[in-house]
Amino acid sequence: MFIRKDDKISTSQAAIYLNNSILGAGILAFPRFGVQSVGTPDVWMSLLLSGMIAMMSVLIMVKLSQQFPGRTVFQYAKKIAGSPIGAVIGFIMVMYFMLIAGYELRVFAEVTLFYLLEGTPVWAIVIPFIWVATYLVHGGINSIARLYQIIIPASILILILSFGLSVRLFDINHLRPVLSEGVMPVLSGLKSMMLLFAGCEMTMVLVAHMDDPKQAAKAMVYGTSLPLILYLITIIVVIGGMSADSVMRSTWPTLDLLRSFETAGLLLERFEFPFIVIWMMQLFCNFCSFYYGASLGITQLFGAKLRPVILGITPLLYIIALMPKRINDLFGMGTFIGFTGVGLFLVLPILLSAVYIIRRKGLKQNVQ
Amino acid sequence: MFNRGIYAALLAAAVLMTQTGCWSSNEIEDLSLYAGLAIDKGMVPSVEKGMKEKGGAYDKKNLVTITTQVIPTKTGGSKGQQGGQQGQSGQTASNQYYNTSETGDSVIQIIRQFAIRRDRPFIGHHLKVIIVSHDILKSIGMEKLMDFVLRDNDIRPSCLVLLSEGKAKDTLDISQVPGDIPAFHLKGMIRNRYRTNKVLPKVTLTNLDGLINSKRSFVLQNVITEKGQIQFSGAGIIKGSDGKWIGNLNQEDVEAISWIKGNSRSGTLKYYANSSEPVIYEIKSVKSVITAKADGEDVSFHVRIESDGRMAENWKSGADPSKIAFQEEAKLRFEEDLRRKLDHLMNRLQKEYKAEVVGFGDKLKIQHPKLWKKMKHRWDEIFADVPVTFEIKLNISDFGSSLQ
Repeated sequence: MFIRKDDKISTSQAAIYLNNSILGAGILAFPRFGVQSVGTPDVWMSLLLSGMIAMMSVLIMVKLSQQFPGRTVFQYAKKIAGSPIGAVIGFIMVMYFMLIAGYELRVFAEVTLFYLLEGTPVWAIVIPFIWVATYLVHGGINSIARLYQIIIPASILILILSFGLSVRLFDINHLRPVLSEGVMPVLSGLKSMMLLFAGCEMTMVLVAHMDDPKQAAKAMVYGTSLPLILYLITIIVVIGGMSADSVMRSTWPTLDLLRSFETAGLLLERFEFPFIVIWMMQLFCNFCSFYYGASLGITQLFGAKLRPVILGITPLLYIIALMPKRINDLFGMGTFIGFTGVGLFLVLPILLSAVYIIRRKGLKQNVQ
Repeated sequence: MFNRGIYAALLAAAVLMTQTGCWSSNEIEDLSLYAGLAIDKGMVPSVEKGMKEKGGAYDKKNLVTITTQVIPTKTGGSKGQQGGQQGQSGQTASNQYYNTSETGDSVIQIIRQFAIRRDRPFIGHHLKVIIVSHDILKSIGMEKLMDFVLRDNDIRPSCLVLLSEGKAKDTLDISQVPGDIPAFHLKGMIRNRYRTNKVLPKVTLTNLDGLINSKRSFVLQNVITEKGQIQFSGAGIIKGSDGKWIGNLNQEDVEAISWIKGNSRSGTLKYYANSSEPVIYEIKSVKSVITAKADGEDVSFHVRIESDGRMAENWKSGADPSKIAFQEEAKLRFEEDLRRKLDHLMNRLQKEYKAEVVGFGDKLKIQHPKLWKKMKHRWDEIFADVPVTFEIKLNISDFGSSLQ
């Protein structure tokens, strides 16, 4: 049994890492956002399109990161855009990572408190969660990736199993007619579906940690397609099982789908509970990704040591998680994060790439 | 080494903290599970009247009466004659449930009110069935009555919704099978669709939520009670515009709906030979295709029903069901019977109630989405004048294990 000292991750680990950064709390509520913004059952098309767009931007990020082997965005943004602007970009990304980590944490706490542990104080759920995450993140990206490898099969299995059992509710007519009002609703749905892929800017951190950065494009495309496929299954099963009219009125439609049936004769009668419990681990992964990303960012921006930073930002994460006063604030925070995310993973890589190309090709500067 | 010992001890102590169990656990013995919920028009039960005289009132209007069915009751009897021991030899006639009614104007206030009447708090995790009486649905829409149950975190959306012709609370107080729990009884009955097409597909709270939100009329299974006996009989029509009950369909109308939708797995057709000798056709399979035709703004529907079935029973003297000639004649008579049922249903929906509950709207939506968008807001009125034609093809594929 060898223990790696260099804290690098393999190609498949990188793919799973990216997958776990994208796949998080969104799955619980996104069918509602989708139906609300699209207005027809064609949400899955918007989702598919958003996935494609996200994948392209991931490829741009990979190309950009490959120009700076072993360096993360926090380091190469400074090289490309100059120290002050680069620092600002890095700082925004750190803030964003922390915000998203806090958001995942809070969604997890809300769902658990509402359906599972009514009456438990919120800190009793949030604080142990942060502690365990702190312990994991201390181990570095390699330990995180190895935990992800253990968790991802379990969460995919339970997701597919729960959805499989809901098949009896499925009615294809709920998904018809296709494109009844043309493509405009599908395009207007892009806005809310893009938010689901917030988290893929983690690519700009991951490539630097890869064993074999040449494989980065492959790994990152896999890492984006897996969540895309799982989201697609979710939206089809949820709308097909509940009808768009019903999804529109449900706070957590994915959970409501699982609450809409009881399985007699199986070991378990109700599948929302195992689903919430297993998805808890998935949210934990998601949280750890961003927690690590934020710590790493601070370390590289300010030249600090990693471990004190990891410990140091725990109170911040706790405060961010408990910031939303009501559930509307939480959903508002989700939308804000989504838009920031879209900005970061759509606009930022293109801008950075453009500046890089102009400086390299146009001005013949040495940008390293 | 000493250091390591201290760390290990601290770790062990920390692990101990996780062993205390659930934070907010409630022992199931200390809770009252309610399995059934009946919603009636406000009527003040005598107990409550008495309580009120002694000052037991709060600010409310007596709009709805909620009856909950709590299971199981404490052994030993909690309400004198109603509670009782079960499972002991010979004692089969005692009940395992306990019904309590309370009146008020908010579902949650009423349910929480039980907390000051009973020693064990109510918990909704196991609510299986909600029965709403026609009476209350005449004055209050479905959306309002169902608001709380759809919002609550305990009540699962898998709960079934039924209508009741008489008082809904009576459907939770039946004595059909000794020791039976009425809420479970009702839930079980809805599964009998594979035996008869007089039962509509189940409507859960999730389905209901969608139906209410679509603002279209729909039907819910009706329950009738008589002398402590219970029966599914026909369906009640809920008007989409306001969620109120507007009328009933009878058992044959429900059969007709199942025929049109093509989702019946069982059911019969009948004609009388020589005016008093019934001949019966039993469904083996049904397939239906509904085609919406649009000619400008004029919509019409064509329903093609194909069914495979069996000569199930023959009282006609001297007839031989195994003969093709007899089958051919019988087939025409069966088609007649089906046509009669279909016409009766269409007459009810188009002329009497002006409500489309079969699902023609869905077909129009899928086949002519643009037209549907224009029509959906007044679909019920438009449908009243829409021509619907039926094409029926029955096939008697066998005559069972007896020739004559």
